[in-house]
Amino acid sequence: MTVTPVTADPDVAGREVSLELIGLSRRFGSVVALDGLTFSVPPGEVFGFLGPNGAGKTTTMRAIFGVVALEAGQVRWQGQPVTEDARHRFGYMPEERGLYPSMQILEQLEYLGRLHEMTAASAREAARHWIGRLGLAGRESAKLEALSHGNQQRVQLAAALMHDPELLVLDEPFAGLDPGGVDDMTEILAERARAGVTVVFSSHQLDLVEHICESVAIIHRGRVVAQGAVSALERGDRLRLAVRVATDPGGDWARQLDPGIASVERVDAGMVLLVLAPDADSQKVLDTARTAGPVEHFSFATRRLSEVFRDVTGEDA
Amino acid sequence: MSSRWIRLTAIVAEREIRQRGRSRAFLISTIVLLLVVVAGVAIPAILAHNAKPQRVGVVGGQLAAMTEIVREAGRLTGTGVTVVPQPSLAAAEAALRSGELDVVLANDSEVVVKQVSVADSSGSGGGLASAIADVAGLSKLVGHLPPGAADRGVTLPVRGLTPPSASLSRRLTGLFTVVLVWVLISAYGSQIAMGVGEEKQNRIVEVILASVRPIQLLVGKVTGIGILALAQAALMVAAFLGLGAAVGSSLVHGAAPGIVITGAVFLILGYAFYCTAYAAAGALVSRQSDVGAVILPVQVPLIIAYALSYTVIYADGANVFYRVLGFLPPTAPIAMPVLYAAGDVPGWQAAVSAVLVAAGTVWMARTAATIYGRSILRTGSRVRLRQVLARGAAD
Repeated sequence: MTVTPVTADPDVAGREVSLELIGLSRRFGSVVALDGLTFSVPPGEVFGFLGPNGAGKTTTMRAIFGVVALEAGQVRWQGQPVTEDARHRFGYMPEERGLYPSMQILEQLEYLGRLHEMTAASAREAARHWIGRLGLAGRESAKLEALSHGNQQRVQLAAALMHDPELLVLDEPFAGLDPGGVDDMTEILAERARAGVTVVFSSHQLDLVEHICESVAIIHRGRVVAQGAVSALERGDRLRLAVRVATDPGGDWARQLDPGIASVERVDAGMVLLVLAPDADSQKVLDTARTAGPVEHFSFATRRLSEVFRDVTGEDA
Repeated sequence: MSSRWIRLTAIVAEREIRQRGRSRAFLISTIVLLLVVVAGVAIPAILAHNAKPQRVGVVGGQLAAMTEIVREAGRLTGTGVTVVPQPSLAAAEAALRSGELDVVLANDSEVVVKQVSVADSSGSGGGLASAIADVAGLSKLVGHLPPGAADRGVTLPVRGLTPPSASLSRRLTGLFTVVLVWVLISAYGSQIAMGVGEEKQNRIVEVILASVRPIQLLVGKVTGIGILALAQAALMVAAFLGLGAAVGSSLVHGAAPGIVITGAVFLILGYAFYCTAYAAAGALVSRQSDVGAVILPVQVPLIIAYALSYTVIYADGANVFYRVLGFLPPTAPIAMPVLYAAGDVPGWQAAVSAVLVAAGTVWMARTAATIYGRSILRTGSRVRLRQVLARGAAD
């Protein structure tokens, strides 16, 4: 298997990047898990990593930690290929949660901290800090299996945060959380990002992603099919308008529009969704609508992230 | 191997020792094994004190003095003795062969028994015979020195009528060794496999492998568990020797340094050979409950060597098949200590076997590490060995 040299696309906005995945490829038997996957993540951002089941999200995350060997491609951190040193400054919360069920949580966190090269004393201190921060104070010597499912998830998050990582990678961190847990998780991820930590997480809950992330990458069959700022993806490459004329529920008025101004994308219960032509004046659309009757609604429309997702992957999240 | 490599591996080992060392299972198994050792040493010793009196023939010399020597030796060893004067050495030897006599003190110059053991060719063919040799030699020393006594020491030579073979006590020490090796390897080996299966089943392995390599997790785990196993073994041996010395057990008389050293060497080698194999087996399953099925093939050689060891311990001379087992790395850790203890192989052959096992251990460790590294993150159905070892399955 030869390694094809791939260069990263320069980041669109010219911002600095912390994590870069360049041309990652991996096959499992006849299944192509990663097919030249390339994207980069700006520092100090909460970055969403989306894709249908089997798109290669978990394999990508494992590749960041060197847990899965790559056939081609490279993972870079702050401009350098990832070394073992760098990995010790990463934190990981795998999709399949895993800790020792019969080990006390304080000891367990201390052990995982020490595996990231913390001293025993600082690991213990960090374990106490996160146990307190996640509302588990008093349960230090409880065995993991004695905790509720939600609390076990909290311990799992603490395990990833123990050594104050520079990069936090979480595979489906919101799966199986109750609303309170989702709020806690959201708050902690945002707080970490504010502290300069690069946070990458995968999720199927696109509403949450829309709410939390600044940018996302959507992958499908091992390739990136869309990436960028959430707002840009939702706006799309051309502006959209949503217009409703009270007396024309079929939206017939819009069919008379000059294609040089706007074209109809669809009509949904009286609401006409229009794609504006490049450099066209949206007020001309309003003028046309007014001649047809009273305008009840007139706004720029954005697509939901879930629609973008469906567009680029052909599947529901 | 960088110092960090070692440090992180040591942290893994330390966790194993802490978690297992204070578990109830470890405590209970230690107590049970100790009780077995205590019973194994104390019960034969108690029975020996009630042993039937030994019939000692005396030939030539002064009957009264020789009777006194025999009685003193009987008193020293706690054995009842009956002195039977014999008309000639030939008659005494005939009586020895027929079993009418147990020991003969001949002409104040040698002690004759039916068979001396190879354990200690300088004398101890059994407690009483060597005691007679000691006391008789001592009594000569206080009387007059026979020619050459200063060179030979004062103990009379002990001669056997038939070629020497390992004494029963030696064989029993061999049995003790073999049981210890078998119990420790299979018990701790299963623990390794269960531990690996547990880590794989509850997926913590993915968290750990984000900061250490699979080989570090493997080495740390088998080292930690190995240290516990060795500590337990050392405790058993100490109890065996200490208690044996205290009650004067004939079992411990058989524990010549050679047997103890051979047993220890093969216990360590056997553990080293099997620990990685157990870990690799544990890595093949996705559920801990499937561990039993995958470790069975690993255990088969041990089971064969262990089961057949009884035929060596209770037979005169091992068969060729068992001798071959003594040189094959998977069976040698059990077979060789038995063969050596039974006196069927000389020390140099045990050394050759140890080298072979060590070489086999290197091969096994490499193979097992490959299997382990490639299987540990695969979930779903049980991983097939052929699949894992196929070329290009790098993971």
